[in-house]
Amino acid sequence: MTDLDLGREAYPIPGPPNSNLADILERVLDKGIVIAGDIKIDLLDIELLTIRLRLFVASVDTAKKAGIDWWETDPALSSRAARNSLLEENRELRERLEALESKTEETSDH
Amino acid sequence: MTERGPGQAPDDSALYVFAVCDAPDPAAFGGLPGVAAGQPLGRLRFGALTAIVQTVRAADFTDEVWQARMADRDELERYARAHHDVVSAAAACCPTVPLPLATLYHGEDRARQALLDETERFRTALERTAGHSEWGVKVYTADLPAPDPSPSPPRAEAPAAGSRPAPGAGLAYLERKRGVQARRERRHEDALRLAETVETAFGALSAAGRRLRLHAPELVGKGHTQVLNATYLVPDHRGAELQVLARTLRNTTGARIDVSGPWVPYSFVGEV
Repeated sequence: MTDLDLGREAYPIPGPPNSNLADILERVLDKGIVIAGDIKIDLLDIELLTIRLRLFVASVDTAKKAGIDWWETDPALSSRAARNSLLEENRELRERLEALESKTEETSDH
Repeated sequence: MTERGPGQAPDDSALYVFAVCDAPDPAAFGGLPGVAAGQPLGRLRFGALTAIVQTVRAADFTDEVWQARMADRDELERYARAHHDVVSAAAACCPTVPLPLATLYHGEDRARQALLDETERFRTALERTAGHSEWGVKVYTADLPAPDPSPSPPRAEAPAAGSRPAPGAGLAYLERKRGVQARRERRHEDALRLAETVETAFGALSAAGRRLRLHAPELVGKGHTQVLNATYLVPDHRGAELQVLARTLRNTTGARIDVSGPWVPYSFVGEV
């Protein structure tokens, strides 16, 4: 046998039976001991896999840059509709302000 | 399960290596399909260690085929689970170092030589993970319900389109916007603090820990946001303690904390 003392007596039952795909992929894809194989297979591009399969968010910063509303989970805050309605309200207020200002100018011209 | 003798696979075949084991029990792999239907799993001895291998069609394992496979979620899942099942079966019977998906050689001699060259790394990894398992810890915060559309304290009525704005509408708008920003920052800070609290607590009973990528919102599902996806190398005798800690943290933080495991320590053999 070997000269390693690895405490062979007890082995846990590994791998939770109902693990989801992301749980498994994040372990089998770029973890484990990587040794050079004869056949070059580029597996490690998890970023690309993320874009294809939408499994992971690379990081909070990346998520924010990619426009994923990571922390802003209120539907009313994060949806495009809500943002648009704020922009719309802003635009209306500006128009009204301009209208008022031009009226004031007209009045002072008299 | 077959013991591999010396020899070279035919030109149209390749040898897929799943894991490296210390004295695996051949009976542990019965019935597992591996990554190639109809081909038995085999053991390849190199020095004092043994690799779990399978002969596959080389045409099924070119880079081109794999790139296509990785674009197909079902196909990828099939291969990932097949690989994981063999690694898990190995780890259930003996000390095991998993290899990542798709490590392939042109034949047994090539594989044996490559594995022999890495013997020291395998030994280091086996020693490091002996008597330990990997446990995944994910933390989620519950999403807040949508804000009340009729806010209090009462503010100026929104003007009907085309009419003059009610006095104070602009101020109310600014205050509302400031409130949104402040709430967002507060929740972001709370989430970071929660993640750190959980990470520190689990780190204290682990030999090592690392953060994994956060899962995409589609995967998490509606109603929750994942704020921590971490994994820990935990001594087997502390497995029960880990579950108690998870329960305690759930009670003190109110957060959803999912624990998965025990896993073969995939995440803790790569740095050796």
